[in-house]
Amino acid sequence: MSEKLKVGILDITGCNGCVLSVAFNEDEVLDIFNLVDVLEYRFVSDPAEEKPELDIVLMEGMVASPRDLEFLKEVRARTKVLVALGTCAHTGNIPAYRKWTPKENLARLQFEKTEDIADVEVTPIDAHVQVDATIPGCPPNRREVLEVIKNLVIGKGYRLYTMPVCVECRKNNNMCLLEVNKPCLGSITTGGCFAICVNAGLECWGCRGQTADANLDAFMKMLEGKGFKRDFILERMRTFVGLKIPALETAAG
Amino acid sequence: MTTTSLTLEEMTKVEGHAVLTLKITDGKVEDVHLRGIEGSRYFEGLLVHRAYNEASWLSARICGICSCGHTVAAIEAMENALGVQSTQQTKDLRVLLTLGERIRSHAAHLYFLALPDYLGAPNAVAIAADKPDAVKMAVAIMKLGNDMVRRIGGRDMHPESATVGGWLHFPSQEAIGSLRARLEELRPGAVATVELFSSLPYPELKHPSENFSLHNEKEYVCLEGSIKGADHEFAQKDFGKFVQEYHEPDQTANFVVREGHAFMVGALPRVANNFEQLSPDSKKMAKAGQLMQNLDNPFYNNLAQAVELLDAFDQSIAMLGRLKVKQEPLVDITFKECWGIAAIEVPRGTLWHEYELDATGHIKRANIVTPTAQNLRSMEEAIKLYLPQLLGKSREELVDGLETLVRSYDPCLSCAAHFLRVEGL
Repeated sequence: MSEKLKVGILDITGCNGCVLSVAFNEDEVLDIFNLVDVLEYRFVSDPAEEKPELDIVLMEGMVASPRDLEFLKEVRARTKVLVALGTCAHTGNIPAYRKWTPKENLARLQFEKTEDIADVEVTPIDAHVQVDATIPGCPPNRREVLEVIKNLVIGKGYRLYTMPVCVECRKNNNMCLLEVNKPCLGSITTGGCFAICVNAGLECWGCRGQTADANLDAFMKMLEGKGFKRDFILERMRTFVGLKIPALETAAG
Repeated sequence: MTTTSLTLEEMTKVEGHAVLTLKITDGKVEDVHLRGIEGSRYFEGLLVHRAYNEASWLSARICGICSCGHTVAAIEAMENALGVQSTQQTKDLRVLLTLGERIRSHAAHLYFLALPDYLGAPNAVAIAADKPDAVKMAVAIMKLGNDMVRRIGGRDMHPESATVGGWLHFPSQEAIGSLRARLEELRPGAVATVELFSSLPYPELKHPSENFSLHNEKEYVCLEGSIKGADHEFAQKDFGKFVQEYHEPDQTANFVVREGHAFMVGALPRVANNFEQLSPDSKKMAKAGQLMQNLDNPFYNNLAQAVELLDAFDQSIAMLGRLKVKQEPLVDITFKECWGIAAIEVPRGTLWHEYELDATGHIKRANIVTPTAQNLRSMEEAIKLYLPQLLGKSREELVDGLETLVRSYDPCLSCAAHFLRVEGL
């Protein structure tokens, strides 16, 4: 058998939920460790004496400090396939909403910091390095994480789901939350999550990013028709993935 | 004069990254400094202007490890602010969500992060080669805790079903019965965990810091109670009178002290303040393991977690046995200008959420105090006290000793403490 793939499950600023969701595949987690060589993973592995060359890195987190950027670049340089794992790596997630937040809301929390941890504009990792694949979601679907690892091991590309959340949601026989006036973003959001939030009673907030053919104008008009204010709709659409909706970059709130 | 400086690079996870630096001159510990170096995410600022019920879903994203904790703390603080009286079923489901998270988090920390230190193994995967049954059992317990969260909260992380005034979606009675049956089936594993962690060679260390936790007379603490310290108790709403937060320029974690001195939160302080409320078997096993004689030794936090694991099994089994799930509408809410605070016991200690709302139910100010922020200063003090025992030893033993101590607190930073770099030794 050929040599095992060398894998890193790494993170920069974030909540550690994505790297944890790899281990939440409880029935397979020990098999993953047999299938590939997990050389760097903060919940398990000791660090190697020298930073290893890696075949695959799953990278959680956003760039929020010079330290994050330095680490991200260092890892990219020794990695063949860099996978953005989860919404923070994909879009900058909720903290990137800082861009649309009035400065006075943050002032109370800001204090003088040393250079390495100073604030920088929150950005997804593809703003700085080449990203070879993305597993979206906050948190990502743990089964999808497993599929990506398995496919990379057998050298097969993994095709992410591209249909809107509504497709899976309907299959689950959920009541349509738009019908009861909830601001559900499912119809403009990429599925693959099995509509897990709507299954649990909560409208979709769009964490997996928009579908390629999302018609934002029509969608906004539809929600405005239901009585939602435009600035609320914009806020909701930007909360998880704002930096990845260029059409909304300069939209008036 | 010989000065040695030592850097524990890339420690943390207070859901993030931290660095420990030490300075030792002529065998004397001069300085111990723990730095949180996670990039600032400003969640408290981003919550401003948001609707009252959005705080739980957004603030859950602070931590993937304690997401249920943030969810429940945000909801309880909002309800305290708005004067919402939740039903008993709502409270019970919140307790079960909290216990599910306690079960998975303690099992993961004990077996994957702490145990390798005591067995001299590089990691849990290496332990699995030698003791496959123990590690498989640990994974089974983690899965059970995850399933409690999935079934009750809707998802294993950042749960969506819990909200202000009730639940958006209810677990089926069948799910409740199946969780209870699996808890009973795996309970011997929890007992074996307390036995295992009672038998470990914990280093001797006396660190008489104040044990801080919630306390109430009727149950082992999750969501309700006053705050109990060494010499007095106070109501949750008086938090700000007793505790101060401050920042240092070289780190993004904030420190928390009570009247200028450090205190400890977490499993050990909870057991210290709530021993009488433990389930009968966990009480018995805590006694047998000499836990109560070692309440001032932070290493025993691991045994306290094991005792809490068993107690969480017992509490959950009893609660699930009583629960007859019924569909309930959300409680009606009347908005007004208001302020509220809530503390709950999450795996790593007491978590606080505090909110001010305007007359339309939107957030004017949010304040969140995490357990690891409260423990940072106590950890520094404990390291200072423990170092003299390590100074004559080899570099490897010193590094291992420090890592074991840091991990015993179960900061989210324990895992990263593997990245220890020693200069000048």
